[in-house]
Amino acid sequence: MKTKFTMVVPTIKLYDYLIVPIQIELDDLTIEKLQMQLLNEISEKKIRGIILDVSMVDVIDSYISFVLSETAAMAKAMGCHTVICKIQPQVALTLAQMGIKLKDVFTANSLEGAVDILNRLD
Amino acid sequence: MKDVVISRLGELVEGLAKKDEQKKAWEDFLVEFAEVCGKSDLKEKLKAPISNLLDRISEKELSDGIELLHEKLDNFPTVDVYKAIIEALGKKNDEYLVKIAELRDVLSELSTPIIHLWQDVLLAPVIGTLDSQRAQNMAEKLLENIADTRAKVVIVDVTGVSMIDTIVGEFLIEMFSAVKLLGSDVILTGIKPEIAHTLVKLGIDFNMVIIKRDLESALKYTIGKFSKGTEKKQSNTKRGDIDEN
Amino acid sequence: MDDKNFNDIDININDYDIVLKIKDENDIAVSRQMAKSFAQKNNFSLADVTKIATAVSELSRNIYRYAKEGYIYIKKKETEPDKDVSIEIIAYDRGPGIENVEQAVAGGYTTSERSLGLGLSGIRRLIDSFYIKSEVGKGTVVMAEKRRRRF
Repeated sequence: MKTKFTMVVPTIKLYDYLIVPIQIELDDLTIEKLQMQLLNEISEKKIRGIILDVSMVDVIDSYISFVLSETAAMAKAMGCHTVICKIQPQVALTLAQMGIKLKDVFTANSLEGAVDILNRLD
Repeated sequence: MKDVVISRLGELVEGLAKKDEQKKAWEDFLVEFAEVCGKSDLKEKLKAPISNLLDRISEKELSDGIELLHEKLDNFPTVDVYKAIIEALGKKNDEYLVKIAELRDVLSELSTPIIHLWQDVLLAPVIGTLDSQRAQNMAEKLLENIADTRAKVVIVDVTGVSMIDTIVGEFLIEMFSAVKLLGSDVILTGIKPEIAHTLVKLGIDFNMVIIKRDLESALKYTIGKFSKGTEKKQSNTKRGDIDEN
Repeated sequence: MDDKNFNDIDININDYDIVLKIKDENDIAVSRQMAKSFAQKNNFSLADVTKIATAVSELSRNIYRYAKEGYIYIKKKETEPDKDVSIEIIAYDRGPGIENVEQAVAGGYTTSERSLGLGLSGIRRLIDSFYIKSEVGKGTVVMAEKRRRRF
């Protein structure tokens, strides 16, 4: 099968969920490419729920969280929910202190928790 | 000098102190002093005897005693003795500072315990006065704990807190939203009238936190929610099975 | 205010442990990695390391996005050896400047389409002291300091 998009992050399809373990430094270009990649995968693979595992991400600043929320809103428009799981505790503190809220995004502290949330939403 | 001190030991000790305990302390010091007296590097050698003496008598008694010795004994090495005293006191002071730092660590550990109450449930009782430093330490500790244990619910009990200022209130709100970002729920209990006053003035978003009157109702709620959660989990497994077939 | 006046914050490059030129989008990620390892090296708590790295990331992005190029300066400050350590960050550019500084710092305000407008207000909440000076047509200087917490 031919892929029309460039892959930035390898993803795993589980039932109609897409698990996205982000294990790279999220710079501005990467996260924008990731956004396009995910939207394309949602449509091509008929994904109903995306799980973003950010346990390896050390810094989430206002722009990265903006793009994450934006991606979730776009996914929502395509009928797909987004769960962000395993945010590092110090990253969560930083986001909270900056007053950043992740809109249109569910959060979970484990992969199982994320799957539970998506199952409940169906 | 050594012989003079030893020969006049009894007389000197009588003049230096009244109580037996202190007399003994001075006697021990004078004997040690006589031993090192006249040797090179006197100040260094005097440090240990002086430090021992300071453990047994007060600073006032020491300085009065040294004054007396200065008067009674010719060639008493007052300068060296005082140098040794200053250094001994400096060392003692450093030891106290280390001890204070250690106690502060212990205090912060003791005052922000995090209790694993139930599977997926943590309890963080907050006791005493919260300042921004303690609030931040608590937030860091609690969040790490949640990430490690993957707790689903955190009960923060503030029964033991009598006052919250606006800065600490803001830190608490931030802590709660950080907990939410990790994907866990917060239940806040034990809010006293004064704290309720501050929190409302701060414009805390009560929708973000579940508030219960006391620990008992928080527990009831948690257990109720928890058992509901298990039922759902079972139905999910069923759904998963169907999907697989 | 003339040009000379704008430079009244004397920045002596030699005083700083890290001097970074921000010119590329890539430099944003580089600056936050350097800030992170610098804070780690100076024994800041993990949460504070993340806060410092995030603040630097915001500052670099502001430079890149609005001024196209500028500098990030980072240094360690000590009042006495091993007591009251802090990290000072300066972001300096000769870009277009900010028209309404108060509004930008208050948060929720942005001139850029793809932004939350929480950059400057966020930085101010993450660090202990914050100073900004900006003039339209001249540039912007932001000075931020984070103290190391005891125990």
